[in-house]
Amino acid sequence: MPKLNRDDWIDLGRKLDWDYSYVREEDVFPERLSGRPWLPHAEWQRWDEPYRTTYAEYVDTQADKDAIVQGVREAVGRVEDFAKLDRSWLNGLKLHAATMAFTEFTAGIGDIRGARFGRDSAWRTMALFGALDEFRHTQIPLLLMHELVRWDPQFDWTHRLFHTNNWMAIALRHLVDEMCVGTDPLEFAIATNLVLETGFTNLQFIGLSAIAHDVGDRMFEKMVTSIQTDEARHAQIGHPVLATLIRHDPERAQYLVDKWFWRSWIVFAVVTGFSMDYLTPLADRRLSFKEFMEEWISDQFQKTLTAFGLKRPWYWDSFIDALDIYHHMLYASTYTYRATMWFDLALPGPEERAWLREKYPHTWDLLDPVWERITERWRTSGPGMEWSTQGATMPGFCNLCQIILSNGTPRKNAARVVEHLGRKYIFCSEPCAWIFSREPDRYADHKGVVNRMLAGEAPANLVELTRTYFEVTPEVRGKDMLCGRYPWLRAHRNDSGLEV
Amino acid sequence: MLVPLYGFLAGDTLGLLVLVHDDDRIHAIAEQLQLAACVRVAPRAHAQVYFRGERLDPQLTVSKAGLTPLDRVDVVPEEG
Repeated sequence: MPKLNRDDWIDLGRKLDWDYSYVREEDVFPERLSGRPWLPHAEWQRWDEPYRTTYAEYVDTQADKDAIVQGVREAVGRVEDFAKLDRSWLNGLKLHAATMAFTEFTAGIGDIRGARFGRDSAWRTMALFGALDEFRHTQIPLLLMHELVRWDPQFDWTHRLFHTNNWMAIALRHLVDEMCVGTDPLEFAIATNLVLETGFTNLQFIGLSAIAHDVGDRMFEKMVTSIQTDEARHAQIGHPVLATLIRHDPERAQYLVDKWFWRSWIVFAVVTGFSMDYLTPLADRRLSFKEFMEEWISDQFQKTLTAFGLKRPWYWDSFIDALDIYHHMLYASTYTYRATMWFDLALPGPEERAWLREKYPHTWDLLDPVWERITERWRTSGPGMEWSTQGATMPGFCNLCQIILSNGTPRKNAARVVEHLGRKYIFCSEPCAWIFSREPDRYADHKGVVNRMLAGEAPANLVELTRTYFEVTPEVRGKDMLCGRYPWLRAHRNDSGLEV
Repeated sequence: MLVPLYGFLAGDTLGLLVLVHDDDRIHAIAEQLQLAACVRVAPRAHAQVYFRGERLDPQLTVSKAGLTPLDRVDVVPEEG
């Protein structure tokens, strides 16, 4: 039998669907597991993506990529290499690594569901590669950060975060459990492959690797570059799924895109917003988070929507407004609740605040008084007095995204209370309330931190809550990065230590 | 009876959970929230409390003002 050449073979190998004679198609791919609207395979058989990779090619490519990561790890992945990096960058690294590892693992579960219940064999093949990718993306940060745990126990939260009831873990699980485990392959493909990966993380990884290069973190640069090349491939699953959904149920397509863009944005603002505008050394900042979002994320996303004939999400104006302020509201809040975190946060000094004012001319005046107040309290207390700039009262958390209530502006917080079947829910924003209202059965029973506290399931005392429920022990507890020992703070004191 | 409320202080960056008693006066909400947020916002001597856009009489009790658990209240410090 003659051997087919590669290009002739690949479609035979990846488009291996057949008609069932002993069972119905609906039983092989039940709607509950394959997604709605349920469509016969004839509607999916045009499913196609540009990478067209064979398993042998996939394995070869991945082996080469792993060898490169391993080589860089051996060259610059030791504790002494990381110890040379800027302290604020290292704390951004702790935030990224902890939020990444198990998000990727959970995405692997979603991909495996696609590998079984995706509606076309080429989709299932790509989803299988996607699952292998995601488990690789779990293992790489776990491996690299494990080396650092003996040097700095906060790196242990790369593995630990998702296994705790820390409020950030609750928020992340609420997002990724729904996105990757609580969805069918159709919604997963739109939520994860199209919106999160194509819309956010794929582009973020390109930007982050450039910043890592400037900062001198070759290990992180190589890690995210290696991961990004996988993401660019398996993110392609989303486009043909969306194209088919639009043909049959455009309203649902628009809803899923709108919902998952907002949900992704909220978490992205924490992880990337903090890193770009506060935890990257000032000298190495190329773009502000807002500039990055406008240039890389929102423009690209709008082009994708246009290409598919979809509208911008109804909340687009609110999203654009939020680019100017949401992550700043979150960062200032988190800084004053840093003892609930597993990484340290930086107090922006005069130069950083001047840079932020230049980058955010429309909103910084609303935020600067908060930093002035915090700075004054550091000046009054002196270095080392962590308690003087930490909140002691329980924050409120959104009943949809589970993040603290920091949407809107300091003048007018956007939170709103909604009653549903006799229970009150609070949402940080109109889009979070809207998502809840569209699928209340999906979300109504979930208890946020405040609900758990009021039900007696979590301590009401914030110190006790942090220690025993958030599981933030003293050795990993988030602090001010320099414990208030900033040269520019000292400049305001005279030789006897008195303020001048 | 304890009444947990979501409190939003003008000038602050997040909403906080404020625990008051149903027989506390409304001005106590303003005082408690300003104290809770003082790390970020300097407290003022006087502040108004708003519920559903209406200013509440500072001498009313929490229950007389119609506040029930997990309502949102806004506290706006007065200038000067």
